[in-house]
Amino acid sequence: MLEVNRLSKAFGGIKAVDGCSMGVERGSITGLIGPNGSGKTTLFNMITGFYKPDSGSIAFNHRPIDSLLPSQICHRGIGRTFQITRLFWKMTVLENMVVPVRHTGWRTLFSQGVKKHEEQRAMELLDLIGLTKYHDEEARKLSFGQQKLVEFAAILMSDPELILLDEPAGGVNPVMIEKIMGLVDDLNQKGKTFLVVEHNMRLVMELCQHIVVLDHGQKIAEGKPAAIQNDPLVLEAYLGSTDHAGS
Amino acid sequence: MKRFLFSNRVWLVIALIILLVYPLVQHSQYYQHVMIMTMMAAVLASSWNILGGYAGYTSLGHAAFFGLGGYLVALAHNQLGWHPFISTWFLAIIVAGVALILGWISLRTQGSAFVVVTIAMVFIFRLVALNLSSITNGARGLTQPRPGWGGVQWSPEFIKVPFHYIMLILLCLTIFISWRIRQSKFGLGLIAIREDEGKAEAVGINTMLYKVLAFGFSAYFMAVAGGIYSYFFTYIDPQFIFDVFTGVTMVLIAILGGRGTLWGPVLGAFIMEPLGNWVIGTFGGTQIHLAVFGGILLAVMLFMPQGILPTLSDATKQRKKARLAKVQS
Repeated sequence: MLEVNRLSKAFGGIKAVDGCSMGVERGSITGLIGPNGSGKTTLFNMITGFYKPDSGSIAFNHRPIDSLLPSQICHRGIGRTFQITRLFWKMTVLENMVVPVRHTGWRTLFSQGVKKHEEQRAMELLDLIGLTKYHDEEARKLSFGQQKLVEFAAILMSDPELILLDEPAGGVNPVMIEKIMGLVDDLNQKGKTFLVVEHNMRLVMELCQHIVVLDHGQKIAEGKPAAIQNDPLVLEAYLGSTDHAGS
Repeated sequence: MKRFLFSNRVWLVIALIILLVYPLVQHSQYYQHVMIMTMMAAVLASSWNILGGYAGYTSLGHAAFFGLGGYLVALAHNQLGWHPFISTWFLAIIVAGVALILGWISLRTQGSAFVVVTIAMVFIFRLVALNLSSITNGARGLTQPRPGWGGVQWSPEFIKVPFHYIMLILLCLTIFISWRIRQSKFGLGLIAIREDEGKAEAVGINTMLYKVLAFGFSAYFMAVAGGIYSYFFTYIDPQFIFDVFTGVTMVLIAILGGRGTLWGPVLGAFIMEPLGNWVIGTFGGTQIHLAVFGGILLAVMLFMPQGILPTLSDATKQRKKARLAKVQS
């Protein structure tokens, strides 16, 4: 469903992503791992339109998306969360849920901001993550873990086909991690496709059916979790000569 | 909640009635004048607020659209005989169109860079007005005939009354549109842009389109006001109408009342304009009113950094919460 073809991006002299090719199968949970600075987030930012690639191409559902605006990519059906959770701090939790839009036309632009059916759907999703009672609170008043959940739930409002999660378990307590894993698994059963960047190896190995490993902006391995765990190149990238361990 | 809303509506009706009968009971030319200028300040601050308050883009250059509206209306009146009370509504659409283009260019910048670009806008407009003297009459400015309707000039006693009502209509329209925007998907998107523009873009908001549209809307009302103003004074010149100080004043008024709220800019105008006039009236044509203005702003920044209205509404919410907690315990 997503095809990344020989993508490159350099910042000054540093090649953050260097000729990387990878794909995401429809209905899968694909993991994207690699040591710090291996280019995962840069790749994410190119897929979602925040960075323009220097070369290479990205196609979603067989249509190129590499020249689109982030909002247009969102309209095509790709939703994302951020490594450091980003919410609209001074808006209420409910408003945060309603902002994401998949389609905007002139007619809807000037229609009611929070519609009844949207509110209903938002409350259902808040119920799913157990935060219904906070719907009227300002987003900044929630705890860090709760904010992560809200960001995740808000993405679902626009009903994306492919969801990109950037470190969903980063800085979240173990109970919350279980909850997030449960949610992702459930949604995957219902047909949503995921691409997950994560350092928590247990989560990646349990959750993902397919894993892509990056190092220095290049793909060094790809395959099933069991195979990746024993891949000598991967072990070297993580444990080898450098000191940045992965998990 | 219901009662709260109800009482709000009551206040609105009372305010409207007062404004409707004001020129009928208040015959003093001076106080009529102050009221017209106050309503105009509320229009300017409210329409600035659509971009500066909702979307969080501080423009100090909205006087450019105020002035352009004034010039277009004056020219159409002198050259084509179009009555300003009618033409200003249509000519302002042209100004909004110009604003869409300027917005599309200037809204690529953010923060302080955007502020500087908008200030430059005023100076560019002023330079054009000064140098395009075959059309604008340059530094000598444009004079319009004394206001009237259908060939009859209004008497000096009556002259402020029509201006009072047209300004009132404009004020109501501005507030209504500002309210509609705030309630709509468009308004929600603008606030999202203010809170986190990158995130807004990520969740599907075409931020550029939203910002440019907001720029156009806020320029429209600015231009209508400029058109009425140019007729009210019957004389405009580039120095006078393309004034950065006009742009700064409306921003300060909006901040004072509560930037980003619907009623904050209106409240700010109804405090600052009469007060400013009173100070000038009492202490004469000195610069004291500027000092007073600055002092008040400083006090608001220190004690109510969000502006008067948000601070008051926060306080009521807190009280309500406390009362609820008391009832529950």
